[in-house]
Amino acid sequence: MLTAITRAFRTPDLRKKLLFTLGIIALFRLGSVLPTPGVNAENVRRCLEQAQAGDAGNIYGMVQLFSGGALLKLSVFALGIMPYITASIILQLLVVVIPRLEALKKEGQAGTAKITQYTRYLTIGLAVLQSTAFVALARTGQLFPQCQEDVLLNDEVFTVVTMVITMTAGTAVIMWLGELITDRGVGNGMSLLIFTQVIAVFPSELLNIYRQSAFTFAAVMVVGVFMIAAVVFVEQAQRRIPVQYAKRMVGRRMYGGTSTYIPLKVNQAGIIPVIFASSLLYLPQLLTTLFATSENPNVVIQWISENLVTGDTPVYMITFFLLIVFFTYFYVSITFNPVEVADNMKKYGGFIPGIRPGRPTAEYLNYVLTRLTAPGALYLGLISMVPIVALAVAGASQNFPFGGTSILIMVGVGLDTVKQIESQLQQRNYEGFLK
Amino acid sequence: MASLSQLIKRFLDRPGSVDLAPFERVVAEAGRREERVKALDELPKPSMDDLAEFCAIAREAARRTIGLRPYDVQLVGTLALLAGNVAEMATGEGKTLSGALAAAGYALQGKRVHVISVNDYLARRDAEWMGPLYAALGVGVGWIGQVSTPEERRAAYQKDVTYGSVSEIGFDVLRDRLVTDPADLVVPEPHVALIDEADSVLVDEARVPLVLAGATDPGDAVPAAAALVRRLVRGYHYEIDEQGRNVYLTARGTDTVEQALGGGNLYDAPHTVSEINLALHAHALLTKDVDYIVRDGRVQLINHSRGRVALLQRWPDGLQAAVEAKEALPASETGEILDSITIQGLITRYPEKCGMTGTAVAVGEQLREFYDLKVAVIPPNKPCVRVDEPDVLYATVTDRDAALVAKITEIHKTGRPVLIGTLDVAESERLALNLQGRGLECVVLNAKNDAEEAEIIARAGERGRITVSTQMAGRGTDIKLGEGVAELGGLYVIGSGRHASSRLDDQLRGRAGRQGDPGGSVFYVSLEDDLISRFAPDEHLPSADRDGVVRNRRGPQIVGHAQRVAEGANLEIHRNTWRYTRLLEHQRSLVLERRDKVLHGDVAADAFAAADPGRWKTLVEEVGEPVAREAARQIVLYQIDHHWTAHVAFLSDLREGIHLRVLGRMNPLDEFHRESVTAYRSLMESIETASLEMWRQATITKDGLDHEATGTRRPTATWTYMVQENPFGTALDRILSRLKKTLQ
Repeated sequence: MLTAITRAFRTPDLRKKLLFTLGIIALFRLGSVLPTPGVNAENVRRCLEQAQAGDAGNIYGMVQLFSGGALLKLSVFALGIMPYITASIILQLLVVVIPRLEALKKEGQAGTAKITQYTRYLTIGLAVLQSTAFVALARTGQLFPQCQEDVLLNDEVFTVVTMVITMTAGTAVIMWLGELITDRGVGNGMSLLIFTQVIAVFPSELLNIYRQSAFTFAAVMVVGVFMIAAVVFVEQAQRRIPVQYAKRMVGRRMYGGTSTYIPLKVNQAGIIPVIFASSLLYLPQLLTTLFATSENPNVVIQWISENLVTGDTPVYMITFFLLIVFFTYFYVSITFNPVEVADNMKKYGGFIPGIRPGRPTAEYLNYVLTRLTAPGALYLGLISMVPIVALAVAGASQNFPFGGTSILIMVGVGLDTVKQIESQLQQRNYEGFLK
Repeated sequence: MASLSQLIKRFLDRPGSVDLAPFERVVAEAGRREERVKALDELPKPSMDDLAEFCAIAREAARRTIGLRPYDVQLVGTLALLAGNVAEMATGEGKTLSGALAAAGYALQGKRVHVISVNDYLARRDAEWMGPLYAALGVGVGWIGQVSTPEERRAAYQKDVTYGSVSEIGFDVLRDRLVTDPADLVVPEPHVALIDEADSVLVDEARVPLVLAGATDPGDAVPAAAALVRRLVRGYHYEIDEQGRNVYLTARGTDTVEQALGGGNLYDAPHTVSEINLALHAHALLTKDVDYIVRDGRVQLINHSRGRVALLQRWPDGLQAAVEAKEALPASETGEILDSITIQGLITRYPEKCGMTGTAVAVGEQLREFYDLKVAVIPPNKPCVRVDEPDVLYATVTDRDAALVAKITEIHKTGRPVLIGTLDVAESERLALNLQGRGLECVVLNAKNDAEEAEIIARAGERGRITVSTQMAGRGTDIKLGEGVAELGGLYVIGSGRHASSRLDDQLRGRAGRQGDPGGSVFYVSLEDDLISRFAPDEHLPSADRDGVVRNRRGPQIVGHAQRVAEGANLEIHRNTWRYTRLLEHQRSLVLERRDKVLHGDVAADAFAAADPGRWKTLVEEVGEPVAREAARQIVLYQIDHHWTAHVAFLSDLREGIHLRVLGRMNPLDEFHRESVTAYRSLMESIETASLEMWRQATITKDGLDHEATGTRRPTATWTYMVQENPFGTALDRILSRLKKTLQ
């Protein structure tokens, strides 16, 4: 992998692309630490330190993870890529519901371009909403409930409006940066920006651990490296089901046996089950904050707040694990529909040697997939458990940086990007074997 | 003065926004010199340093030789072409003359020009028509066609300006890549490509690469399989998908086939599956007189976008034999792909390129994306006064056909000539029969009587003529109005259904109302047309009024939607072809670089002499050095071509199933590149090993290499293929489609 990157830097146009991508990422990070006008940066820093000592960082969970800490810093890029991702998902859903959008999508590139344009507008709309909400929270002091300092310089309307406009504009810029990477850099822009934000918090968190205890730091590093290696290994694992396309007679030659196959991954579901499970486990926390008043000690609420709110209870761990296993199966069953795949193969004249197209093929695929998903689900569950277990064992109070979600995102995006670089490299590096 | 909106468009670099003002100034200057040039007894050879003088002399030359004085706008068009743009000129505005002047202009700069058109008919017509003009400007001109011999081709390419269809030039380039003797080369170094009907050549034709195939074995048609599938029934034994591209056996069909073949699992025998699939494809998806015609005991393919017979075209991979078996014809030889080139690959060989067409702005984005060409919109000389009536929409084909015949009868009564554009050969014949049944005399122009094309077109504008045509008359043909026809309202064009692209519709309309002539056009569309059932199968169709006409506003919307879906699908095919062949063409150019060194030098002999000095020495003593060198060259050339053929076959096989990778969350294109690069590496090694091996074993006598052992292949047939990248969509698409199905 390292040789690939050094070789890439030696190929002029690829080097240009890589430097371009790095430049964009640097710009993106700059915007993530740059405070929005009107923010009292000094007070925010103090509040953040307090929050880190406590447990407040967890409140915004996934949002905070994807924003690389920019959110609570109230920086120009505070909203990150979340508005864009949300807008894309909403538009995709609307395509299913609104016939006019569906018609547009079917019309190919021209139609898709229009849908992309709508996505951008919606992103701006969402950004206005979210930035208003956050600025309002900051203004009333609810952003850091434990912190008494004023995070804004003043609460005049002008200041608030400036902040909202700045953050909204920031979101638009992020969207543009992402598209620039996709168009002119390497890898997928949006994924790379998420990747950047996920690893951006590593240095400070690792530093925190090191300050507390060098031994814990070493242990965390060993476990982290081991986990990354394990994830890389499993992410690459796949079962190849051979397929033959019998629409052609190519003399006596026989190809296809090796190069035409359905690659079934051990982790066919990717990262989604973990995100689903964490989101669902966020509900009990929400529930207790909403209903747990000291005057009304409900038994159920009581039990929930004892067992399901923090990660160090066995009930929480088991629930989390089971949820991941469930969502893995659920997600695989939605994204990989054996009947649809079998139908498609049948249509285009493809078949698995010895197996009839249509239902028998679907049944066979289902059989293989179900068995393959079992280790996949266990793997996802275990990887996600590691930080929670580590937390319980070490009793450490701060966030464990190598969270399951973080590592899965890191490795996933990393592998994709390196593969793409390698593929581009291969297309250019013919000099080596040309006389 | 350009309007504000023009300036904004130009700033945004929208298609069709090339600034014409500089060209117009040159043409105005040429106008001032017109009288002086006119007075000259003999025209001097113009210099290209002074464009105004060139325009003035060229205009006078055209007037004297072919009796046409180019209008100012035509000269503006010429200058736009000389500046390397795609000129959009309305139909009938005299593109041919503008193009010829531009070609002459390039030639006078000392460059070789290829005027690339869509078909042989136009290439030959324009070359012969413009011949005297070129002669007056001191420029040589030639043309090539399907039937030209290699000698004729070589002679034509030696001229300053060569007219030819894109496939002929493409195949000459491909054949040149396989010659074993430098003396056999046909196409010289490319300089300038001037593309006529640029949207058709650069966009429509570019969907599929030009593929050169060579005969390898006598064909093995399978009459048994053809007989077997003839018994099968659609819907029971087999199904056809909604796009009409694929056919497959149902479970019952498989049972029947297995029984007929004597039991056993059919899918344990891939070869038999292929035979049955091919026979079924030929039986169910290919229709006589739509996809092919049978002429002189041979199956001849019809090119849909041109409506013409493609003489040297065949279906790939045994499908040709299956169709021959279906028609109970003797099987022709089968072949394998020797080499291929995309239209992009062909056109980008030319350092300079430009083009002209009546419909360029609609594909302006694509011209820029794939060819880096800009569009210049040339205003018409006289405004077009043709009356384009809105589509008349019917619910059923039967109602539409009846109304079509009634409309033709009505127009014919007034004496106006009528041109009917149909979508395929079968439909043109059905309509002609129908008209003749009503005592209306009509002429049919389709792939079957292409020999009479010029004659039929020449008379299509005469009073009282009814001409029924396929796509053949849809482009480039110039229909002149007969005497007294203009007073009646000019030519009336009727389309019997919308085409897969609005550009084709516009081109058909453009047959009427040329050069400010009066004219009219209308399309008679039915909701049962292929366009709608293929590309808008899920739409809820509005019902018709009592007279069969659909007046609901949804009707035209659905037709427009179906057309846009078709255009989008074709763009996807184009883009995929390009994506998947770009790497292949890169590899090909590297192989060719080596091949050229072998062909033109002694690289092969030197390498053999170094690798096996003993064998080399004995051979030189036995047969002499020149013979040994030639034998070495032939061996390496053979091995390069042979291995390349195998490489291409491997890649097309790989590509067929590459979309399955998406199921493992991989990018099919990246995967394809990865595997093809690996294959390429081993290709280079095995060429060397195999060459050396053959060199050690080959029988070489004083007469040279014994070809009996090697067997040289000559390309004899050509065909095209398509690829579908990702029929599954992204994971999100799949989730949403599942959701939708659940909801419904």
